[in-house]
Amino acid sequence: MIELKHISKWVTIGGKPNFILKDVNATVNEGEFLSIMGPSGSGKSTLLNVIGMLDEFNEGEYRFFHEEVHKMKEKQRSNLYKQYIGFVFQAYHLIDELTVYENIETPLIYQDVKSSERKAMVADILDRFNIVGKKDLFPTQLSGGQQQLVGIARALIARPKLILADEPTGNLNSKQGEEIMNLFKQLNDEGVTIIQVTHSEKNAAYGKRIIHLLDGRIEREE
Amino acid sequence: MFLHYLKVAFRNIRKQKMYAAINVGGFAIGIAACLLIALFIQHETSYDSANPNRHHIFRLVGEAKQNGQVHSGIAFPAPMSKAILNDFPEVEKAGRIMSNSLFGAANNQVRRPDQQNNTYEQGFAFADTSTLEILDIKMIYGSRTEALKQPFSVILNKSMADKYFPNQNPVGQRLIFNDNPRLPIIVGGVMEDFPTNSHLQYRGFISLAGVSFWDNEQSQWTASNYDIYLQLKPNTNIASFEKKMTDDVVDKYMVPAMVAGGQKNAKESFKDTRIYLQPLSDIHLYSYNIEQDDTRHGDIRFVYLFAAIAAFILLLACINFLNLSTARSANRAKEVGVRKVMGGSRNNLINQFLSESLLYSFLSFLTGTAIAVLALPLFNKVSGLYLSMPWKEWWLIPALIGGALVIGLLAGIYPAFYLSYFKPINTLKGNLSLGSKNGRLRSSLVVFQFSISVVLLIGTAVIYKQMQYILNSKIGFDKDQVLMIEGADALKEQTTSFKNEVLNLPVVKNVSVSDFLPVNDTKRNGNTFWEEGKQQDDGFALQHWVVDENYIPTLGMKLIAGRNFSKDFHTDSSTAVVNKALADKLGIKDPIGKIITNGGEHLRIIGVVDNFYFESMKQQVTPLCMVLGNSNSIVSIKIKGADMKTALATIEAKWKAFLPNQPMRYTFLDERYAAMYIDVQRMQYIFTGFSILAVVVACLGLFALAAFMAEQRTKEIGIRKVLGASVAGVFTLLTKNFLKLVGLSLIISIPVGWWLMNQWLQDFSYRISLNWKIFAFASLLMMTIALFTICFQAIKAAIANPVKSLRTE
Repeated sequence: MIELKHISKWVTIGGKPNFILKDVNATVNEGEFLSIMGPSGSGKSTLLNVIGMLDEFNEGEYRFFHEEVHKMKEKQRSNLYKQYIGFVFQAYHLIDELTVYENIETPLIYQDVKSSERKAMVADILDRFNIVGKKDLFPTQLSGGQQQLVGIARALIARPKLILADEPTGNLNSKQGEEIMNLFKQLNDEGVTIIQVTHSEKNAAYGKRIIHLLDGRIEREE
Repeated sequence: MFLHYLKVAFRNIRKQKMYAAINVGGFAIGIAACLLIALFIQHETSYDSANPNRHHIFRLVGEAKQNGQVHSGIAFPAPMSKAILNDFPEVEKAGRIMSNSLFGAANNQVRRPDQQNNTYEQGFAFADTSTLEILDIKMIYGSRTEALKQPFSVILNKSMADKYFPNQNPVGQRLIFNDNPRLPIIVGGVMEDFPTNSHLQYRGFISLAGVSFWDNEQSQWTASNYDIYLQLKPNTNIASFEKKMTDDVVDKYMVPAMVAGGQKNAKESFKDTRIYLQPLSDIHLYSYNIEQDDTRHGDIRFVYLFAAIAAFILLLACINFLNLSTARSANRAKEVGVRKVMGGSRNNLINQFLSESLLYSFLSFLTGTAIAVLALPLFNKVSGLYLSMPWKEWWLIPALIGGALVIGLLAGIYPAFYLSYFKPINTLKGNLSLGSKNGRLRSSLVVFQFSISVVLLIGTAVIYKQMQYILNSKIGFDKDQVLMIEGADALKEQTTSFKNEVLNLPVVKNVSVSDFLPVNDTKRNGNTFWEEGKQQDDGFALQHWVVDENYIPTLGMKLIAGRNFSKDFHTDSSTAVVNKALADKLGIKDPIGKIITNGGEHLRIIGVVDNFYFESMKQQVTPLCMVLGNSNSIVSIKIKGADMKTALATIEAKWKAFLPNQPMRYTFLDERYAAMYIDVQRMQYIFTGFSILAVVVACLGLFALAAFMAEQRTKEIGIRKVLGASVAGVFTLLTKNFLKLVGLSLIISIPVGWWLMNQWLQDFSYRISLNWKIFAFASLLMMTIALFTICFQAIKAAIANPVKSLRTE
């Protein structure tokens, strides 16, 4: 599904390149649950963003379902990720002006899904996540765990092949975090590929594979 | 999708009430101003548009150069229209209007033969039948071709006909004019009232058939009293016709007539004369430089000026929207990022932000239209117009919707592109240095807003100053405490005894009887005079006023040489008191004893009064002479002391004793004087109104920007205070930059304002000089207002507890 070859990314400070990612090689197959670990500044979020095509890289090759991402224009890239990828953020990033229902519905609107179909899909996922009663509330009226639940529901609504999660439990207490991780596990069991970035060994263990990053390089895999 | 956008926009408005109110409020003010001005412009440009032949109808205007100055006028000799009609096949119809009050036009005392009391009616003019046809006068009773055929017949307009002959066809009925039962006027027809957008507003036309105001008047080429209207055949070449006509009139008629009158180099004096055709639809807006045109006109320059002001106010509101949207982009950046990650394309986002600005625009149009409707009566009062919202016109609603669309897109396009450009990677991480990025653009726009406001403030101040100058400067006569009784000719031979009895009243200081007064709508009589012993060619235009011996003291004019008329001198019937302008014209230091003449009259100068303004200050004071005589329709009374009410009652009682059947009609000289400058006064009000609006809109924007900046810098201020910054220090920090911007706008706007207002003042022959005080005043005012606007936010931020602000970060 994902093939990264010799990916490097750097910023030039004082004339010298300062590497954020250095010669990263990785392959992710469909159905995997991959955790990326590493200390602050090791480049794990950047790697996730590169995979999610939100960020660019300076060198290397990136194939997504055999399509050469590194040769694409920005518009093609964004069309690709819209189709296949759902994002979950540490800070949830819900739109404050929209209700739970509307937040979840938004990606479908952008994909020109018909109104009746949208209703059915959103109702489905609300039901599945047990948040039907909250559908008319605004994000600020929810707890952090509930917000992240909505965030995941929103990421899933368009049935992506891949979920990218950047420290999804970082702002949650341990109980809430556990719930979210179990949800990820369940999704993965249903066939969704998941890549998560995390600090916590415990959460990383939910993954089937762990990549350790240090100073922009892959230090080891387990 | 669109509904989704609207929903989000509505929620944003609800969440950010202050910013939304400022956006909508500013827009609404701008739109209301635009609507009012659009109504005004629509009215001004609609003049005489109902006439089906308007493209072929022209008014004649004569233009002559004198001492390098161009003078224009519309009065021509009596036989001229017929001459042009005969001489040129291009002319289909030619007609005249004579509105000179010297000969019974303008104002008349009117009554039905069975009535006792006279009513003073204004708005009469003499006219040819052909004039009625050219002007497409619509008749209600009588026929247009027959109504004025008989001598002494009159066409009344509907409202006057209804007043004297309610509910009946008055054709053939009689009216008594000016208490002259031997010469009844026969109603020949009734016409519709002139619409408000006609350049003529006459209420009655008197027949010119068989009229001769003096011997051979109708064939005389040396006196000009008639306005001439022509209807030309289609496809006439105007320019060549004008040239042919000028040559014909001058060479064939004017010059021979003047030579016959003794003027030798008559041909030479017409060297720079030109007669041109003024299209009917241009008369209203393009007659501002025509002297002695007694119809009230608009001015195309005002139309442009107001259009510019309206556009600027709307522009200021658009700038507010733009500035607030981009300044507050930080608040929307996250949303942009999230939406993009969720699959929103840049176009989706642009559409979303444009929908939002359209929503603002539509809300503002609703509010603005409401404000305009509410403000319309006030605007009418100030501008002296009768405008109404054209609800019944099919185009109004589409025009408003179209306007809302255009404004919404105009104001929203930049913010939409700016906001939708954000990359999700930057906004989601939250490290985008938002708000400060386009600070330079924002600053320039603030400077632009304030520059415009300051220019308007300067304009207001200058117009106010000039108006004060007009009202309070030495005008050469004392306009205060003078009562003018009009219609006094009804006293007839009792005039003198009335005058004497009033003079004996203890409340009265002096009384004079004369129709010639230094305010509008009183008599004027221009003549050509020259110094005896010189040639007629050296003649000059001279106002020839008939007054009595109390005139000069009653009006408080100042004699600077010689003496006033006196009963003790029996020879005073052929003497004149002249103004200083005449003395200057003659070029003699001591003109006392000199004799001036117009060929018939020989007047010995016995006194010189200081110049007094008898026309608008827009014109130079021209030569004038006063002679003793009988001119008895206006009695001017100088009141003693301040108790005007008692004085009025006593005088009114006296009037009643003399004329029980005619109510006393009076005005005050100072009010009549002020009325001469009503256009300046209106301009002052309108300018003041719109400058206030502009300043309000600009300050709304400044207020919101200041609030936003304070909000943005909460953390910085907190840190500074923890490090020991004082409240005053923080206050300075927050206000300094804004005041710099306002200062910069002062530097830009003062030269612009100076230049513009200097241009405006050129219209006045007597004007204030632009001194630094006006600019200092405007600058200080603007600075104060700006400081006041931002200080609320600045103080709030400066006294806030730093612990609080740092914790919330």
